[in-house]
Amino acid sequence: MNDRLRRSLVRVGAMASKETLHVLRDPRTLVLALVMPVLMLFLFGFGVSFDLDRVPVAIADADRTPASRELVRRLTGARELVSAGEADPADADRLFRRGEAAAVLVVPSGYGAQVARRERITLQLLADGSDVVVANQVLAKADALVRAESRRLAGVDLARVDPPLQVKLWTRYNPAGRSALFMVPGLAAYILAISAVLLTALTVAGEWERGSMEQLFASPVGRLEIVLGKLAPYLVLGMLELLLVVAFGAAVFDVPVRGSLALFLVVGFFFLVGMLGQGLLISVVTKNQLVATQAGTMSSLLPSLLLSGMVFPIENMPPALQLLSRVVPARYLVHALRGILLKGNGLAALWPDLLALIAFAVAVLALATARFQRRLA
Amino acid sequence: MTVAPAIEARGLTRRFGAFTAVDGVTFEVAPGEIFGYLGANGAGKSTTIRMLNGLLAPTSGAARVAGHDVARAPAAVKASIGYMSQKFSLYLDLPVRENVAFFGGAYGLAGAALARRADEVLARAELRDVGDVTTGELPGGLRQRLALACAILHRPDVVFLDEPTAGVDPLARRGFWRIIRDLSRDGTTVFVTTHYLDEAEYCARIGLMADGKLVALDTPAGLKRTWVPEDVLVARGRGLREAAAALGGRPGVKNLVPFGAGLHLRVAPGTLRPEDAARLLTAAGAADVTVEQAEPSLEDVFLAVVGNAARGAKGPTP
Repeated sequence: MNDRLRRSLVRVGAMASKETLHVLRDPRTLVLALVMPVLMLFLFGFGVSFDLDRVPVAIADADRTPASRELVRRLTGARELVSAGEADPADADRLFRRGEAAAVLVVPSGYGAQVARRERITLQLLADGSDVVVANQVLAKADALVRAESRRLAGVDLARVDPPLQVKLWTRYNPAGRSALFMVPGLAAYILAISAVLLTALTVAGEWERGSMEQLFASPVGRLEIVLGKLAPYLVLGMLELLLVVAFGAAVFDVPVRGSLALFLVVGFFFLVGMLGQGLLISVVTKNQLVATQAGTMSSLLPSLLLSGMVFPIENMPPALQLLSRVVPARYLVHALRGILLKGNGLAALWPDLLALIAFAVAVLALATARFQRRLA
Repeated sequence: MTVAPAIEARGLTRRFGAFTAVDGVTFEVAPGEIFGYLGANGAGKSTTIRMLNGLLAPTSGAARVAGHDVARAPAAVKASIGYMSQKFSLYLDLPVRENVAFFGGAYGLAGAALARRADEVLARAELRDVGDVTTGELPGGLRQRLALACAILHRPDVVFLDEPTAGVDPLARRGFWRIIRDLSRDGTTVFVTTHYLDEAEYCARIGLMADGKLVALDTPAGLKRTWVPEDVLVARGRGLREAAAALGGRPGVKNLVPFGAGLHLRVAPGTLRPEDAARLLTAAGAADVTVEQAEPSLEDVFLAVVGNAARGAKGPTP
C-alpha cells in the first residue's frame, strides 16, 4: 500500500515537473500568466473609473452680471466640472454631438437682479443623456454645487438655522469613494478567472491534439493523477499571479490589506482550484485547443465580468440573474476580497464565501475526472 | 510444462455502431516472439492494439496480456506493457532526456534508478549524443527511436508498436529493427504492425488482417508455402512481352505478370523447369533469355491473401 502511494506520487510528480518545463519553455504561458494580469490591472485600474473628473460644461450666461459670473465660477471651480466656454443654448445639440460638452448651464437674464431681490430663481441644465452615467453624475454634482451657492447667497443667518431633518454621511472603508479600491478586488477575480481557465484549458486540449493523451492512458498514470499533476504547477503560477495583482494594487492604487493575508491566500487558493478545474473540464470535453480557448474565455470572462458584482451590483439584478450568479465563483471571491482587503473581515464573516468556493472546486474537479474516465474503455 | 503465452486474444471483436472494426480475432503470441500484424489501412490493426493495451473495451471476446486479463486487471496490464502509438506523441518542446525522464516517472521510476535506466535506453537507442537536443529538432528516424526508448524504459514484458517506422527512411528503418531484434533476444515480446512487407520478414510469425478479420497466421515461410504453393520463375531478356503468349496456354502456368523489363511466372510445382521456360520463350522470339527460380515474396502472399479475402473465400485456393 505504501509502495503504491509512493509510485502514485512519483507519477504525479513526473506530470507536474513535465508541465513546469512546458511553462518555462513557452514564454506565451508566462506572459499569459504574469504579464497580462498586470497589464489588465493597469488598464482597468486607470481606465475604468466612476469618479467624475473634469467634465466639460458649456455656459450660456444671458445675464452677464457679477452675480452670474460668481455662480459660474463656483460651479466650474471644483475638480469635477470645467467650463467648456460660452455657448448659446441653441447650440447645445451641436456641442453634444461633437462631444465638446456633456452639459450646458443656462443662466437666465435678470439673474443678478433676482438674486439682489432674493427671489426664487430657476437655472437650466441641459445634459447629454447618451451616456447615462455621466449625465447622472453631472446632474448630481451641479445640484450639490447650486445648493451650496444658494446657501451662501441666503447668508449667514439662514445657514445658522438648522433644518429639522439632516443626513450626516460617513463613508467607511473607502471614504474618498475611489473607484480603484472598489475595482481592484473585482479585477483580481476577473483576471485570475480568465487566465486560470485558459491555462488548463489549453494544456489538456494540447495533450489530446498531440496524441500524447493516448500514450498516457496506455501507461499506469491514472486520471486523477493526470488531473493533479496538471493542476499543481498552474496552481503555483496562479498564486503568484494573485499576489502580484494585490501587490500591484497596493503599490499603484493604494489598495489596503486590512484583513488576514492567510485567509486571503486560502480564499484565493480555492478559487484558483475551481477555475483551473473549470479549464480542465472544458478541455476534457472539447479536446481541441481552439474550441477550448473560446469556451474557456466565454465561460470565465462573461460571468466574472457581469455576474460577479465586480462592476454591476448583484442586488440590482433581476431575480433570475441573481440566482445564476450564485454558481459564479468570482462572485464569492469578489465579496471575500472586498471583505478582507477593505473591511478587514475574518473567517467569521466570510465562511459562506469560502464554503461556496470549496464546493465549486470539488464539484468541477470531480466532474472533470469523471468525464475523463468515461472517455475511454 | 508449457509457457503461458505473452498475448492471448480469444474472439476479440470491436464494433463502432454498425461497423465492425475487428471481427472475432483469435491468436496467441509466445514470450519473446516478434509478432507482425499486417493489413491495409483500416483493416483493424490499431483497433486490435488498443483493445490489447486497455485503451478500448472489446465489444465481445477476451484478451490476456502478460498474464493479466485486459478487462479485469487493466492496471496490471498497463504496468507490464510498453506502447508506441501510430502518431508521434512525445513532447517536441522538451529535450530528449526530459521526455525519457517524464515517461520514466509515469511508470513510477524515480531518482538514481531512473537516471541509470535512462542512460541504458538512450545508449540502446543510440541517442546518448542528442540527450540535450530539443526533441522537435530531431530527424524522423531518431524521433521514432526515442519513442521506442520511452516505451521500453520500465522493462515491459510486451511492447506494442503501431506502425513504428511509417515515413522513416530505409536505413533508419533497418536500425530500428536491429533494436527490436535485440529486445526480442532479451525476452521482450514485440507486437508490431507495419505495412512495409520487407520488414515483416523479420517477424517470427505474421498475422494478416483484412476487413477486421484475421485471415492468415503463420511464419513468413509457412505463409509463402500455403498461399503461394506454385514455383515462381523470373525471366529476363529482350522481347519477353511478345513471347509471353507462348507460355500463357501451357498447363500448370497459373499466372503471368510483366515485372519491370522481366516476366514473373507462377507455375504448378514441377510442371515447368526454368530451362524449359527459357527454351520456349526463345523459340517464341525473345533473345538473351535467362530464367531463374525465385523465392515467393511476402508481397505475393499479401496479394493472394487480400485478393482471396475480397472474394470472400476462407482459405487459400488450392
